[in-house]
Amino acid sequence: MLENLLLGLSVMMTPMSLLAVLAGVTGGVIIGSLPGLTSTMGVALLIPLTFSMPAEAGLAMLGGIYLASTYSGSISAILLNIPGTPAAVATLLDGHPMSKRGESTRALALATFGSSIGGILSIIALFLIAPPLAAFSLKFGAPEYFLLAVFGITVIASLSAGAMEKGLMAGAFGLLLSTIGAHPVTGDLRFSFNSPVLYDGIPMVVSLIGLYSIPEVISMVSRKRADIGKAAEAEPRGALSYLPEVLKQKLNILRSSLIGIIVGIIPGVGCSVGGFLSYDAAKRGSKHAEEFGKGSAEGVLASETANNAVTGGTLIPLLTLGVPGNPVTAVLLGGLMIHGLRPGAELFTLNADITYGFIVSLLVANILFVPIGLIFARYCAKVIQIPTSVLAPCILALAVIGSYSIRGSVEDILIMLFMGLVGFVMNLFAVPRAPLVLGLVLGTLAESELARSLALVRGDVPAFMMQLVTRPICIVLLIFCAYALYQGVVQHRRNPQLLDD
Amino acid sequence: MFGTAKRTMAAIGLTLGVALASSAQAADFPKKPVAMIVAYSPGGGTDTAARVLAKYIKPHLGQRLIIQNKPGAGGQIGFTALANAKNDGYKIGFINVPSIFLVKMLREGVPYEMGDYEMIGNIQLDPVVLTVPADSPYKTFADLIAAAKAAPDEVTVGGDGPQSNNQLQLVVAEDLLGIDLNFVPFNGSGPAITATLGNQIEASVPSASSATSHIQSGNLRALAVFADKRYPFLPDVPSVAEATGVEVPGIGASMRGVAVPKGVDEDKRRKLEAAFKAVVLDPAFKEHVERMGLPLAYMSADEFTSYLSEAEAGVANYVELLK
Repeated sequence: MLENLLLGLSVMMTPMSLLAVLAGVTGGVIIGSLPGLTSTMGVALLIPLTFSMPAEAGLAMLGGIYLASTYSGSISAILLNIPGTPAAVATLLDGHPMSKRGESTRALALATFGSSIGGILSIIALFLIAPPLAAFSLKFGAPEYFLLAVFGITVIASLSAGAMEKGLMAGAFGLLLSTIGAHPVTGDLRFSFNSPVLYDGIPMVVSLIGLYSIPEVISMVSRKRADIGKAAEAEPRGALSYLPEVLKQKLNILRSSLIGIIVGIIPGVGCSVGGFLSYDAAKRGSKHAEEFGKGSAEGVLASETANNAVTGGTLIPLLTLGVPGNPVTAVLLGGLMIHGLRPGAELFTLNADITYGFIVSLLVANILFVPIGLIFARYCAKVIQIPTSVLAPCILALAVIGSYSIRGSVEDILIMLFMGLVGFVMNLFAVPRAPLVLGLVLGTLAESELARSLALVRGDVPAFMMQLVTRPICIVLLIFCAYALYQGVVQHRRNPQLLDD
Repeated sequence: MFGTAKRTMAAIGLTLGVALASSAQAADFPKKPVAMIVAYSPGGGTDTAARVLAKYIKPHLGQRLIIQNKPGAGGQIGFTALANAKNDGYKIGFINVPSIFLVKMLREGVPYEMGDYEMIGNIQLDPVVLTVPADSPYKTFADLIAAAKAAPDEVTVGGDGPQSNNQLQLVVAEDLLGIDLNFVPFNGSGPAITATLGNQIEASVPSASSATSHIQSGNLRALAVFADKRYPFLPDVPSVAEATGVEVPGIGASMRGVAVPKGVDEDKRRKLEAAFKAVVLDPAFKEHVERMGLPLAYMSADEFTSYLSEAEAGVANYVELLK
């Protein structure tokens, strides 16, 4: 093990490779913090640039972008209440209330250190125990995915603190929206209004931009939040002084990292689900559950630690089996292939120098985004002191450009504005938006995996039910679902004022 | 009087000017970067192939080739954008066959016709392969056919879908081999391969390029490649005719070629054709795509056009079975 680490270090410690990581991390921090620019897009657009670089430097740069952009979605979530990436939605729930309280630096520091620690732990898992974990990832068939999505949906209970009925309504609306577009198994078009842009469903990032930035712009214009700037100034402490606070929450960090790594290993689930599940677990396990949603440090830390722990997790099946877990790793797989590297055992023996060099570069990237992110965030924090008359039109312009740039489609701007209207109405009636996002993310997964499960048994419903109670992972997931619902109901009964103010 | 004459003169002058300008345009074409529409998202297989082309074509084209992603609706948005693009030669498109037919034939109200395009050339051909897990009881295609005949609709076969080129290939094979399999669509060849590796399904029909590394590493076994020749990166895998004795046309093979909207000046088309032909012959480009495992299959504009009209008829015969 040690010799592999040293081998990796020797490959990585060249000016070229270090510069590549630095460039990747810097680019990634910027890409991630701008809503509309996603990690996938960043990695995809830079792949041609890596063609002419040495393999280890090219991969180091792509890895840097991936890790840094997954983290930096939290910056805009905390400061502006607009998630830069879908993975930052759970961070926003507590990060923005903290920022409004005048604790922007604290929230950003928690997010940064949490992300870094989660990321590092997941890379250590990749380094030490990748092969057995990869074998686990193949155990996930359609029924397991379906139950995992159902379990994820139970998180709605945690996301709708203070308004259970409203949260359920928002979640159901999210699930409904997720059914727009072609049926995942039959290809039938639903609710598409004969418009090709809706054939693939509502694009996630576009709806996220609308849902969060438009209501923000409206409330700025209506001068509801002219006070945020001065609150932020009353914070003299530096970001580094919050590191001990982060390290004190050992249990939270370990639990969140573990959840993130497991979610990452399962192909096709993704960073945002890791963030949501870990937020939920942190809330259930917390002594101060009532603070969640109102600016809980534990919440920010849980969500951010987990969504970056997903990154190392997704690389496990990628490097050992050639199975990409999300769009970014699919692009990374292309990057590996271009350099003639084939995932599998060969990667760890024949090409060990490049592979371990890549792993070391990921560790470097996880550490490097801490200073870069904090410096960048310090300038970003000034954004909230900008007069709203300037800031609001800027956000609106960014929202339009961001939603257009995803697919180069004008119709996506209309979808963004529609979702903005939905977000505004939800805000007006104090309906939480996070359950809607969760429904949208998991609805597609739940529906397509249910349909696929049934297709696998030729539509035999009893056979499918049997699978749910006989496959080992399914049994575990069913127990999780039952426990989550039981606890939700009991908590709700015992403590209604906590959940329904 | 004078007014009319003047106007006539002006009109003649204008026409002449335009004609001169257009021939002059063709002579120094391309004067500025050429944009290529790709109907799929950044980072996907088609997009990556397009970006590699763009990297190597510059010396042959004399200008940069810029990739414009117009993803969505299984390619429909990008193909429509190409059909409606300005035909000045500066807007070209990467088209995927047979997806471009399938979208048109399976949906209502698709606003393009094959007549809206003129072909420049084909670059790649990526056939469909039939794969099973390494420990599968099916050692040959014949084993799988025997199992499917013994229990119709019981053998599950995963693949990109629904209504994909992979499903089309399977449907054609089922029809000609007289078997009935249970096709289960996955969200791409990658997830179908993952499910095969994990023994969640009995077999899968991914694209050859995405399955090659898994076949070479021994994690998947390929029973046949749906093409009339063997696949260059998998020389040990029999073609479908070798494996079954039945000629199954490889119309499900995914082809990536270049097209322009109808009405582009002939000289410009010839220039584009020459540039794409030159890049496919470029040793540096060849080496690069070989490392990526992308199979080249160049066809000139005329060859590609006649291949397409033949393939369109073939696809039309089977499209009902996909609905």
